[in-house]
Amino acid sequence: MKTNFLPRVSGLALGTAVALTPLGAASPFAATDAGVGTVLANKESASANASRSADPDWPVAKHTPTGQMFKLPFNVPKLDDIKKTASGWEYSGQMEFGYIGGDADERNAQYRMYQDIDQGAYLNNLSLLLKKTDGSFVDLTAGGAGRRDQYYGLNFGRVNAWSVKLYFNEIPHVFTDTYKNLWSDVGTANLVLLPGLTAGGTASTAADTAAVTSKALSVNPTTLGLARKRGGVRLDLTLSSAWKLFASYALEHREGARPFGAVWGNNGGTAPIEIAEPIDYNTQDISAGVIYSEGLNAFNFRWTTSLFKNKLDTLTFQEPFRIAPQGFTTTPAAGAYTVGRFDLTPSNQAHNARAEYTRKLPDFYKGAFTAVVSAGTWRQNDNLIPYTTVPGITAPNITILPGGDWSTTGSLSRSSAKGVIDTRLVDLTLSLNPTSALNVKGKARYHETDNNSDPYYAVNPNAVYVDADGNAAGNQTRGISYGGFTGVWGRPLNDATGSGGLLFGTAPTPTGSVEVKNHLYSTKQFRFGPTADYQLTKTSNLSGSAEREIMERTNRERARTWDDRYKLGYVNRALHNSTLRASYEYGQRRGSRYVTAYYEDTFSGAFIPMPTAIGTNVTSWAVRNNGGLRNYELSDRNQHTANVRLDTMIRPNLDAGISLQMRESRYPDAAFGLGKSSQDSANLDLSYQPSPKQNLYGFYSYQQGRARQASIQQANNVTIGAVTALGVITPENAAIIGPTPGGPFYSLGNAWGAKSIDHNHVVGAGVKQEFGKATLNVDYTYSLGRTRIAYQYAVGGAINAANAVFAGYRLPDIATDISYLDASLRFPLTDRLALRLVYRNQWEAVRDFHYQQVDKNPVVTANVNNPPTIVVLDSGPKDYRANWFGVMFQIKL
Amino acid sequence: MSKLSSDAKTSMKQLTSFPSLRTAIIAFGGAAVVLVTSILAKPDAPPPPPEPLNGGATYVGEAVCVACHQTQNKQFTHTVHANAFRLNPKNDLQKHSCEACHGPGSNHLKDPISPSNRVSLIGYTKEWGTPVAQQTAMCMNCHEGGQRMFWQGSPHASNQLSCSDCHNPMAKVSATGLLKKQTINETCYTCHQQQRADFAKRSHMPLPEGKISCVDCHNPHGSTSKTMLKTDSVNETCYSCHAEKRGPFLWEHAPVRENCLSCHNAHGSNHEKLLTVARPFSCQQCHDNTNHQSNLYNAGQLVGGGAAPSTRIIGRACQNCHSQIHGSNHPAGARFQR
Repeated sequence: MKTNFLPRVSGLALGTAVALTPLGAASPFAATDAGVGTVLANKESASANASRSADPDWPVAKHTPTGQMFKLPFNVPKLDDIKKTASGWEYSGQMEFGYIGGDADERNAQYRMYQDIDQGAYLNNLSLLLKKTDGSFVDLTAGGAGRRDQYYGLNFGRVNAWSVKLYFNEIPHVFTDTYKNLWSDVGTANLVLLPGLTAGGTASTAADTAAVTSKALSVNPTTLGLARKRGGVRLDLTLSSAWKLFASYALEHREGARPFGAVWGNNGGTAPIEIAEPIDYNTQDISAGVIYSEGLNAFNFRWTTSLFKNKLDTLTFQEPFRIAPQGFTTTPAAGAYTVGRFDLTPSNQAHNARAEYTRKLPDFYKGAFTAVVSAGTWRQNDNLIPYTTVPGITAPNITILPGGDWSTTGSLSRSSAKGVIDTRLVDLTLSLNPTSALNVKGKARYHETDNNSDPYYAVNPNAVYVDADGNAAGNQTRGISYGGFTGVWGRPLNDATGSGGLLFGTAPTPTGSVEVKNHLYSTKQFRFGPTADYQLTKTSNLSGSAEREIMERTNRERARTWDDRYKLGYVNRALHNSTLRASYEYGQRRGSRYVTAYYEDTFSGAFIPMPTAIGTNVTSWAVRNNGGLRNYELSDRNQHTANVRLDTMIRPNLDAGISLQMRESRYPDAAFGLGKSSQDSANLDLSYQPSPKQNLYGFYSYQQGRARQASIQQANNVTIGAVTALGVITPENAAIIGPTPGGPFYSLGNAWGAKSIDHNHVVGAGVKQEFGKATLNVDYTYSLGRTRIAYQYAVGGAINAANAVFAGYRLPDIATDISYLDASLRFPLTDRLALRLVYRNQWEAVRDFHYQQVDKNPVVTANVNNPPTIVVLDSGPKDYRANWFGVMFQIKL
Repeated sequence: MSKLSSDAKTSMKQLTSFPSLRTAIIAFGGAAVVLVTSILAKPDAPPPPPEPLNGGATYVGEAVCVACHQTQNKQFTHTVHANAFRLNPKNDLQKHSCEACHGPGSNHLKDPISPSNRVSLIGYTKEWGTPVAQQTAMCMNCHEGGQRMFWQGSPHASNQLSCSDCHNPMAKVSATGLLKKQTINETCYTCHQQQRADFAKRSHMPLPEGKISCVDCHNPHGSTSKTMLKTDSVNETCYSCHAEKRGPFLWEHAPVRENCLSCHNAHGSNHEKLLTVARPFSCQQCHDNTNHQSNLYNAGQLVGGGAAPSTRIIGRACQNCHSQIHGSNHPAGARFQR
């Protein structure tokens, strides 16, 4: 099996690993308030740590203030047993190494998604801590050496004074191990078809289909995935008990490939085929700041910069079918379209400055005032690529001027992206305590995402329309000026094989469906309201809040929405050794007028008036979307959210946690679109810890998620003079009747609805038992997920009678069963050496209708003489079962 | 050409001045309510001087504590607190070591056993019963500000959580952070079981594999966001790892730009790619346009399902064609196909 993946250790990994491996490695990098990278571990380090024995001397387990048992601490060296070097360094540590066998080499993508288990020698869980009496310390951590989930860390400094943290962490992400690769050089930016396949196809589509099918079924499956390798350094400096400084730098490299859809023209539906998108990213994260806290004042300032670099600008791929040059009649000839080209995600950068300040007001109702100001910007200015790689494209009714070929940047309205989004945040909180039992707060937050990019116009300024040719565009189209540009509007889609409908002026009826201007989305959020917290008794509290959130959006169907939320909360910490927490929130969102046809002005249909002649099809002028649909993030919404949680100490060594969550959202103005969604869950946890030698736990969670949506399948045209249920269509009412449910286009007889229901059960249990010197640890989790999507429709409407037989009333369930068992038995062999026997049983079964039978039928076609319906080269998730064992030795250092 | 003047119309659709008068009135009204409430509630008489800790007890010194609490001392010695207090204390409080957190212990010595004397020392367990506010205040003596700037008013504080509901300062159970469980995630799961169930699903963030933690996205000590995110918005949090999605792109997809959670469940899902609903239905919750978007894709269009399989439900469904759904930088990318 071929694997398109990274070498085990890249240059970045080597650089860091070589520096750290002799010592071991360190602790996390990011703080809890900023940045990513808060753990250094992998799946196996958790397993190894779980088998550590508890401190036999520790008194009986105690409970947190909520009532949950503290985990018993591990057995650690007694003070007299702590080792010390001649130079005065106290040290302690351990490492684990051994051999893994059995099915550990399983290649299934679900199994290897984020972990890298293989047969063979394995070094994991290396840790070493050194410290001196002056507070100097060195803390090393490492695990998964040489694997794709390896990690290394080194932390050194003087406690309470300064520290330097270095780390390297690698995360694999396997997308598929069943990819049927038809190209050489997967993982690069230029995909060349394997021998036997013809770029641009042959004169016989049937032969091309046969060749692709044969090749797809004969190649060895390829694994597509990426590795995320992140290394960094952080410096923390404690200047005094009040002042601290920090600075950090991280470099992250992502490399690999993932399945990616590619399609050709005809309005975007011809010969879709799964190619492999190469990934080769570098991201540098730089941060620095100052922290101050003393007396009445606290202040934080932080600067962050993120520099993202995509080392691959474009992806060019050969395609194996002959694509007809629809709408472009003169050039090139059939078969000339051999390659397609993507513009991959652009390099970008982001900068943010943030200041946070709190001032205590002890003389003003024991209050405090907090203010946060943050400003940032995201930018990219990638050079734009031409519309197509194919030179010499011409089209009816259009003349290309010198320098205006669509395969050159002369056909663009500008040469670079010029993307800029600025963000701003102001967050204010005033907290007062009018009485010893009452706390009230006033909160206000303003957050803005302001897209200041230059609008992009899809126009070839170096092309002109030909007059008086009788084509649909007609004489009136010459000299159209829009946004400061004059030229030929629209865009050759998918490397110039799209239908003429995507280039204004060449389209048959209906005209005007060409998007000629991009949309720049900005949001402004303003949230404010009071909260109050009243202490009913020494052990119970009642809280309440009212809040309004206003969102203003540019270039959306609804310019303004406001969401009012009211919340009540109750906490009681003394209900018979229990803690009860309950809350309920009601939210209601409403907004300004919803304009379904908001985007009409950015389509070229706006260039010419709607025809008025009786019998003229004006659909593309009159209809863009179902007038009864509401996008759920914009529509009215009534939402109920309730949470109840009870933690109880059944016995001093047995505690239970029970929680219920419920959230229901209804969208009352959405006759179509998402109408209702809900998410409910119930959970039970039990923990029994009778002695340091024995610990048992169990848990169960049930979740149910529901979503209900409705739509109307498109139907007839909107024609001037047509008699409809909503009246006779005229030029004046066409744009009203057209999108209206019940009209000629959105006939209610074609309405359909769908319900998606997720059910999930997760059960887990574990035991830790010490037998003499041996320690047995077993953890088990079973997760069951089922999703049923059912739909309803009128036969003869959305589904015709012949297809209704196949359509039925639901899709095959999406079903997942995941089982995970980890067991280990640990025997001390000497004071410093222990043997740990590991057994892992892991399996997963997945059924997903999207990938039903595609493994055997990668080329889906209704007629072999036409380009296929789709070529699915990723066969989707597969079942697996893996049993493996490990013989590991643990050494105390 | 009449509609071309719609540029002007479009500009009219731009944001109105912000905040509007009405918004401003409501905002100031809210603030006024807070102030008036505060005033009407009439504050207590001038606050009495701070009550002496532990009933006016005096510090007895670490050696006295350790004389009885040897096991605790054995564990505590391996913690960062012990190292800070004993090896490089920054102030007089830290020099008190055990009593820096538990308060002066002289009254505790008078009757260390009797439950009735627990007020003589600050404890951090349910059994001991010290009020949560008092526990938190002790921790804040050293940990005020910084990462905990927004603790007051945070969801955890509002739910009356104590620091020691998550932390165990007495023993090094976790690699870092002196948590009550071995890892950050296990600590969070003790209350957030629904998220634990999410992470057990087919499609999930790599938390069960130990490669990231809840704290990569959330600050459990509070933040300016309602869900305690570490950044100013959901998307900025996602961009922390997925910088390639940040753009801005030439052609943007509105719900993508507004909120990644429009389509994804950040924790886990029954559906691939952390999608909240399976494709194509997830896309059709918003797209009921004049083309194929409004069609009902069904079991008869799966491979082997009938005579008319459809690219719009097989495999990647909508993303078989609209693969650049997070945004396109291609001049022909308006439909996210290049």
